[in-house]
Amino acid sequence: MIKQSIIENVLEAALSTGGDFSEVFIEDKFVNSIELQSDKIERSISGRDFGIGIRIFSGLQNVYTYTSDFTEEGLIEAAKRAALAISGGGNGIIHPLQKEVIKPIHTIAQLPQTVENARKVAVMRKANEIARNYDERIRQVGLRYYDEEQNVLIANSEGKFVEDKRVHSRLAIQSTASEGAEMQSGFYGPGAHAGFEFIENLDLQHYAGEASRIAVTMLGADECPSGKFPVIIDNEFGGVIFHEACGHGLEATSVAKNTSVFANRIGEKVAPDIVTYIDDGTLPNEWGSLTIDDEGERTRKNVLIENGILKGYMIDKFNARRMNAEATGSSRRQSYRFNPTSRMTNTYIAPGKSTPEEIIASTENGIYAKYMGGGQVNPATGDYNFAVAEAYLVKDGKIGRPIRGATLIGNGAKTLQLVDKVGNNLAHGAGMCGSVSGSLPVNVGQPMLRVSEITVGGTKGE
Amino acid sequence: MDIQLFQEELLKKAQDVGFHEAEVYYEKSNSFQVKIFEGEIDSYETSEEGGVGFRGLYNGKMGYAYTEKIDDDSISFLIEGAKANADALDEDDGTDIFGGSEHYSEHSRYSDELANVSIPEKIAFIKEVEKKTLAYDPRIVSVNYCVLQDFSQDRVLTNNKGLSLQDKTNGLIVFIYAVAKDGEEMKTGGAVRLTRDFNSLDADEIANEAGKEAISSLGEKSIPSRKYPIIMRHDASASLLAAFTPIFSAEEAQKGQSLLKDKIGEEIGAKNFSLVDDPFHPEALLGRNFDGEGVATKKTIIISDGTLKTLLHNRKTAKKEGVDSTGHASKASYKSTLSVAPDNLYIAPGEESQEELMATIEEGVLITDLSGLHSGTSTISGDFSVAASGFYIKDGKIASPVKQMTIAGNFYDYMNGIVSVGSDLKFVPGGYGSPSVKVKELSVTVD
Repeated sequence: MIKQSIIENVLEAALSTGGDFSEVFIEDKFVNSIELQSDKIERSISGRDFGIGIRIFSGLQNVYTYTSDFTEEGLIEAAKRAALAISGGGNGIIHPLQKEVIKPIHTIAQLPQTVENARKVAVMRKANEIARNYDERIRQVGLRYYDEEQNVLIANSEGKFVEDKRVHSRLAIQSTASEGAEMQSGFYGPGAHAGFEFIENLDLQHYAGEASRIAVTMLGADECPSGKFPVIIDNEFGGVIFHEACGHGLEATSVAKNTSVFANRIGEKVAPDIVTYIDDGTLPNEWGSLTIDDEGERTRKNVLIENGILKGYMIDKFNARRMNAEATGSSRRQSYRFNPTSRMTNTYIAPGKSTPEEIIASTENGIYAKYMGGGQVNPATGDYNFAVAEAYLVKDGKIGRPIRGATLIGNGAKTLQLVDKVGNNLAHGAGMCGSVSGSLPVNVGQPMLRVSEITVGGTKGE
Repeated sequence: MDIQLFQEELLKKAQDVGFHEAEVYYEKSNSFQVKIFEGEIDSYETSEEGGVGFRGLYNGKMGYAYTEKIDDDSISFLIEGAKANADALDEDDGTDIFGGSEHYSEHSRYSDELANVSIPEKIAFIKEVEKKTLAYDPRIVSVNYCVLQDFSQDRVLTNNKGLSLQDKTNGLIVFIYAVAKDGEEMKTGGAVRLTRDFNSLDADEIANEAGKEAISSLGEKSIPSRKYPIIMRHDASASLLAAFTPIFSAEEAQKGQSLLKDKIGEEIGAKNFSLVDDPFHPEALLGRNFDGEGVATKKTIIISDGTLKTLLHNRKTAKKEGVDSTGHASKASYKSTLSVAPDNLYIAPGEESQEELMATIEEGVLITDLSGLHSGTSTISGDFSVAASGFYIKDGKIASPVKQMTIAGNFYDYMNGIVSVGSDLKFVPGGYGSPSVKVKELSVTVD
């Protein structure tokens, strides 16, 4: 993308004031987005994101600058300006760049840039039809198709020089149902680190049908009761609870500064034996997968919690310095505009032995959360909250009436201790995770599981 | 490549290949951000970036494309992209490129003085804020987020109907979050400042606000879960308003995604509730003199004493209803297609102080922070159920902090349930403002 000699000069200019590490991240990304609304293709935009991020370390100082000026003078000027913030020891060394050829672990059959809009639109129309025909109460369907091809080049003063191509495709479906003055919506958004083959092979009957089914189901739902209940969380996107409740607390971003409840606790029992929690960026073609992270490190399978024992964290190069630990291939950034840091990829609770039927049958009076909305956590305290998109009452081991407006709140470290059933039906769901280094594609996953007590906030009262 | 030449060339080539109308939108931004941790610079970021958004009418349909790489090849990339995108659209929806408004405000949102504040001055200031926050109370164990950022941005909109507009803006934001610990209990408290006047910032005042909020949240108590009268503090109220802003968009209404569809002229809120969008509000940092398609912006009263006066329009939504655009065509950046959004949307302030609002409450809850708004709110149904922090009010006064809560209700009921509106109007980042608001009741569930 940019000549190697220019990159070398930039890395050197970045160390001119005594920094001990410099890095260049070049991004050239092509995106396409098409929206369908009211049965019509209403919006279509394509574009190219292009820019360069330069990072300098000096001990525990971290300086970042980015620019879309790709001329040699512009880049060197940017590197020098950033270097002004460093007052280092002056021993930065540039190792000769060694081009590393990596074999991508996520194969892409059809690059979306080469697929004409008409084929993308055809899939959208079909999904629209399925969602609309699901029920006469479906009054509106919105669809968004999105693809991106992100080409990156990462080089650093340690001699790293590596390129990667990441391709993401996603179809998001939102159905709105209405009856009388009431309106409810349902959402499903499958995505993958894959090309157009993923979109073309999607089971639209399932995904579009589910978006509409959720909307229609919630139309007739009762108000959610308030109080403390056992909560059964279904598999796939249900994993968002542990993404919020403990995933963020295992990122070096908060562990390195001891602001996480999980800091300095490796080897301690933090969960029941039945809980094993993993972050794995190597799962083939999954939405949160990468071949290399945004520092050029190979992604890997990181076991975070094994049979209840805290085993490891997700660590990036910079926080590795503060923690005196190795980086784990977990450094990510939304784009060249973001200083990278440790983030999740595909994080999931490993499958256990219970069947979903057993879990439901053994619950006397609780809540069954079939589909989750998103959530949020305060990383300092571990207090989390998240919304349930589709929920039901469970009475005497049977799933009862649907309920709406359920929000779950609690404390991550405490909730983790209360997991009392882990099912055998692991599945992954695609989401976007927003944090310090931007908004990133991540998978959350789990089998069906049960937490013996969570505070459920609703409108109905106790 | 010179941007002005690039724009001229792009518009000319576009016309040559069959775009009868075309527009180029260019943005250029600079930013600086420093994060402090334990007296040291933890991260330091600068940037210079920009990009070009192109849109044009091809066979009567509006195609879009953008690029951040500006060179000779980019012109054909934009033109080919916009053509393919125009072809994908279903029909001519009546949108076109705008020839210009009669009058544009010359309101300035740029401070030369702010632009001249040196980086060492800014760093010294934010270090001072961290130091003072840590010193506020021995129970403040850390400051987990301490950031100063500033930005400046130039926007240029040019089209082949003779319109050429530009404006520039700058501003500075300070965020600080303190962590307080007492035994096992851990609480956070924050302060945020938005300004174009660096000299108006007072490190003591910011540190005291964050420190006080964290410390006063210690000693949490549980209260029974039930419905309570609520005071939404100005910042919590502004963030709830921000989450429900799409319901005031004519675009959402036309799609059947807002229950305010066909409600113009009707009473949709309490008598003391007025909602205003003012691109020129002196205390708000955002705003602009022309909107995303070049229409002059103006102050808009959306709700006046409880009655819905208008929704927010761009030219496309306005045309569908035979009204004038309210100047709310929005483009988050050159990367976006046109949509509808407010500039500085706020609830008009009333007369009473926060203490006066509280004085008449026998038993209630003061909400100081909301969390999980992106997932716990449905703009379609109006339902919300979100995590909240706050204080228990007993006999008109704050009695104690409350354990983590959720509050739940429906935004349409909420607008009708406003009992009184405070005088303490404040803006939060993102261009939303509110005074503290007293609401009849909401469901409160305590952890």
